[in-house]
Amino acid sequence: MSDPLTILTLTPLGVGLLLLVLPQLLPQNFAETLRKVSRNISFGVSMGLFVFATYLAFENFGGIDWLNINMGEYQLMNDEPVTLISSIGVSWIVGVDALSLPMVWLTALLIPLSMLVEWDAKKGHIFHPLILVMEGALLGVFVALDLFVFYVFWEMTLIPMFFLILVWGGDDRKYASMKFFIYTFTASVVMLIGILIMYFHTGDISGVSGSITGHHFNLIEMNSDMIQSEGLRHLVWILLLIGFATKMPSVPVHTWLPDAHVQAPTAGSMLLAGVMLKMGAYGFLRVAVSLFPESTVVFIPLLVILGMSSLVYGAWVCMGQTNLKRMVAYSSVSHMGLIFLGIATMQPLGIAGALFMMFAHGIISPLLFAVAGAFKHHYHTLEIGSMRGIAHHSPYLAAHMMLGWMASLGLPLLAGFVAEVAILIAFWMSFGWWVLLPALTLIITAVYYLNSMQRTIFESNDRHHGILPESLHGEEPRDITWHENTSMFILGILTVLFGIFPFLFFDMMSDWSTEFIQEILLEAIINQGVKP
Amino acid sequence: MSYLPLDTAEAELIIPELIMLVGLIAIILIPNFGDATFRIPLSRIKVPILIGGNRFKLTSNPKLPNQVSLLIFSAAFFFGLIQTSYGNVGDTLEVTAFSRIFTLIFTAALILATIATTHRIPARTNLKVPTDNDSETITTKKIDALIDNRRQVDFHIILIMVGLGMSLMSMATHLFMLFVCIELASLSSYILVAFHKETKVGGEAGMKYFIVGSVASAVGIYGMSLLYLWSGDLSLDALSSKWMESETIDPIAGIAVGLMLVAFGFKVGAAPFHLAAPDAYSGASSPVAGLLATASKAMGFVALMRILITVTMPDSGEAFWFSTIAIISIVTMTWGNLAALTSTNPKRILAYSSVAHAGYMLAGLAAIGSGLASEEAMKLVLTAIIFHLVVLVVFKFGAFLVLSLLETEGRSHQLEDLHGLARREPLIAGSMFLFMLSLAGVPPLSGFLSKFLMINGIVNISAGTGASDVSSVMDWLISVEPVFWLAFAIVLNSALSMFYYLRIGLVMFFEEPENTKPMKDAFSLRIAIVLCALLTVIIGIGPLSDSLLQMVNDAVDSFISN
Repeated sequence: MSDPLTILTLTPLGVGLLLLVLPQLLPQNFAETLRKVSRNISFGVSMGLFVFATYLAFENFGGIDWLNINMGEYQLMNDEPVTLISSIGVSWIVGVDALSLPMVWLTALLIPLSMLVEWDAKKGHIFHPLILVMEGALLGVFVALDLFVFYVFWEMTLIPMFFLILVWGGDDRKYASMKFFIYTFTASVVMLIGILIMYFHTGDISGVSGSITGHHFNLIEMNSDMIQSEGLRHLVWILLLIGFATKMPSVPVHTWLPDAHVQAPTAGSMLLAGVMLKMGAYGFLRVAVSLFPESTVVFIPLLVILGMSSLVYGAWVCMGQTNLKRMVAYSSVSHMGLIFLGIATMQPLGIAGALFMMFAHGIISPLLFAVAGAFKHHYHTLEIGSMRGIAHHSPYLAAHMMLGWMASLGLPLLAGFVAEVAILIAFWMSFGWWVLLPALTLIITAVYYLNSMQRTIFESNDRHHGILPESLHGEEPRDITWHENTSMFILGILTVLFGIFPFLFFDMMSDWSTEFIQEILLEAIINQGVKP
Repeated sequence: MSYLPLDTAEAELIIPELIMLVGLIAIILIPNFGDATFRIPLSRIKVPILIGGNRFKLTSNPKLPNQVSLLIFSAAFFFGLIQTSYGNVGDTLEVTAFSRIFTLIFTAALILATIATTHRIPARTNLKVPTDNDSETITTKKIDALIDNRRQVDFHIILIMVGLGMSLMSMATHLFMLFVCIELASLSSYILVAFHKETKVGGEAGMKYFIVGSVASAVGIYGMSLLYLWSGDLSLDALSSKWMESETIDPIAGIAVGLMLVAFGFKVGAAPFHLAAPDAYSGASSPVAGLLATASKAMGFVALMRILITVTMPDSGEAFWFSTIAIISIVTMTWGNLAALTSTNPKRILAYSSVAHAGYMLAGLAAIGSGLASEEAMKLVLTAIIFHLVVLVVFKFGAFLVLSLLETEGRSHQLEDLHGLARREPLIAGSMFLFMLSLAGVPPLSGFLSKFLMINGIVNISAGTGASDVSSVMDWLISVEPVFWLAFAIVLNSALSMFYYLRIGLVMFFEEPENTKPMKDAFSLRIAIVLCALLTVIIGIGPLSDSLLQMVNDAVDSFISN
């Protein structure tokens, strides 16, 4: 137990890979037995990890005071950095702080839920272990404090997701999986150049985390002073931004997202929207903003433009969508724009709002995709308007849809509202009346959500029957299965819970952002002459 | 040991090569062992001479040559691995850590080729000689099978000659020796390409490869003779000191080096000399194509490194070939990737991908030639190049091994032949997918580490050259040396290459197979494929990659100190 994060990361990777490979090597009858239980094993492991992550995350259990961590200090670190490749200075260092902890917990939560939603997936003996591998890679991204290892996990998430889309996806899955992989891979290799330039400028270290001679990837020991040339610092920042913004995704590099989401299986969409998009925002804060605060301040206008165009464009495009999943995907783009706006405010409240947006969207969007997936599963269509009044036929689904849609459009007392309000207030403090633009965009959000909900759940003009889509061929649809229902129910409860008690995570986030501003950004803000 | 032309200490240094030499003779003799006797004249005493006559049951086994050559290469690999002493052998050979790691690359590739051939050229025991009663088709079948059996030994003789030539060339310190060894390996590889003479495409490919290759060699020899005219001595030491002494570059020497670049450029598959390579790869059987893509390419790079770095690299300042190699490298990688995009033959795709990989490595050489590199940075880039050549054996040859497995049941020259491989052979398809990802450079696979080291080296050389007092990105980009853009060229090209690597993965997992039966039970080949896949993963990150990098570092140190 001395090294909980390593256990948390490597267990799912190891178990998942074993479950994938073992049936190929074992004799036939053993392999058959293993195939039958592999989804149960996967689910059991992921549940165990979730319990473990919860234990670590709450002070009452784990005994770590997450509210008072100094900037640049990490908890749960492994005692000794394990050298992986000594000649280029790669070592295994893991640790979490208030920035990554909510993400770790969120990942550990969403994995078993997404398994539950697709409990009856075809080829389950491959599907569920793949999700487990995905969990390992995702957790690795959030806990790694060595940039090389970070990059390795970052790219490793692509492989299981590629297969999830390719094998279990919709009709156009070939195109979508290729586009997804190539798009994000390209952006990441551009980012790699940035990482390498940083690596080249690191020097010998001898500190708390061990001593290394020569260059290293140790994120803790890096700082912005290492690169002399301001132009080069800006270049590195932009290279990093390309990698992170594509993952987030921000307009104009968002086009892979709608395709990937529409084609991905439900569990894939849930993880994609719930965790993978957050990787971009997390990496941006952890690497680009932390190490290059001055460049961030210089490029605030760029951030505002990117965030604003994602927000407005995403919302605007949503209104024209006829496909439920596509609409939800574009709404993700729109919400991710708010994160850039929150960071651009350079206010503690704004950054805390951005962090909480990452978390809240990580709970709400999986709910949305689970609902959309259930439509696809039970009604065989995602067209808005082809089915009406389904509240008559699938009352549970309708209820979950209503809750999810309301949460996503920012209804008070639900998780999304807290984040939006925090960001908008901070935006007003920094940019004054410009706040009207994002605030009015939220009206567009309300329009498309309400419109799609009304046309799907209600409006049948019949007291007892809805209008069923042609894709059902006259059959009566079933309501959602118990495992879908459970999963959505848990997500719904959490949405309400974090709407009413946001402080469970919001406190540590706001503490982190305050320190972040004070210790890292303040000097840059003063130097660059931006009004704090 | 006076009967050897070298003393014991020298012989110990070249044990792997001696093993191959002895093995070459052995493999010629062994299949001919029989019960022949020699009667001493004027007496009745018959002395068994063992050569000829009716062959013994063991020596007539057509699978024997394969096993013998596998043994030879494994022994050579093993002794190369445990060797720790280095030194001169005669006047023209020097065993260093550098030459040793290349011997290991060559023998490892040859081991894989031998394993793949076990199932590629069918060898059957208990064959019947056709009789008069047989129908025509049965007669041809029987004769074909007999010929197949006969050819087993030919193939492995040539294979060992390739190994011998390549291994010796990596030690050569004399340009003439270098060239003779390259020619030994090359001429043998032309035969290997054309070895399947009953297929039209094989003969054509061999012929094409031979003609283009011999023209390239002739050009190279012409360059070498010009170099001799200029310096009067072809040993690398003499050439490099003569090069250092001369203030300006003598036109004769410049032309000579340029002509030799043509010859070696052909060997590594650099544009525009790569045009025969895709034909050769797709015409040759997969084990041979794998050999061309890994060992032959490594051989070309040894020669290039000798000429470009040992001989003509000035102590300070830009080498005269810098811009040429830089342009060639960018053209090579882009051309290779673009051509691979439009190809539908998996062997051709792999051929073009290996052209692209040659481009990446040439970019590294160009970065060294820019003259901006400190010794440390230069070592980094050389490490990257050699490491890349090492790991190519694992995953590029692995991909060719998978194609070999496909060839055991017929064809592997269409993308359709890979369709639905995942459904028929999940483990093999998974391995193939790993090889493809590794070729594309996806972490945590070994292909990523090598590409990473390459970009790292180039960034290391160039990122420090930008102005340190500018505040805008554009100013910095203008002030940085153009070498920096090579890193971007590599990155953009690896993104481009992702398309065709993924396409191979896609057809394996997505398309429906034509028949769903599992493939032939080629056990050793399967083991080799899975082993390659395993190595691809564990060399990527962890202790093994560390020790391998250490080995490569030693090799680079010994290369630079010359």
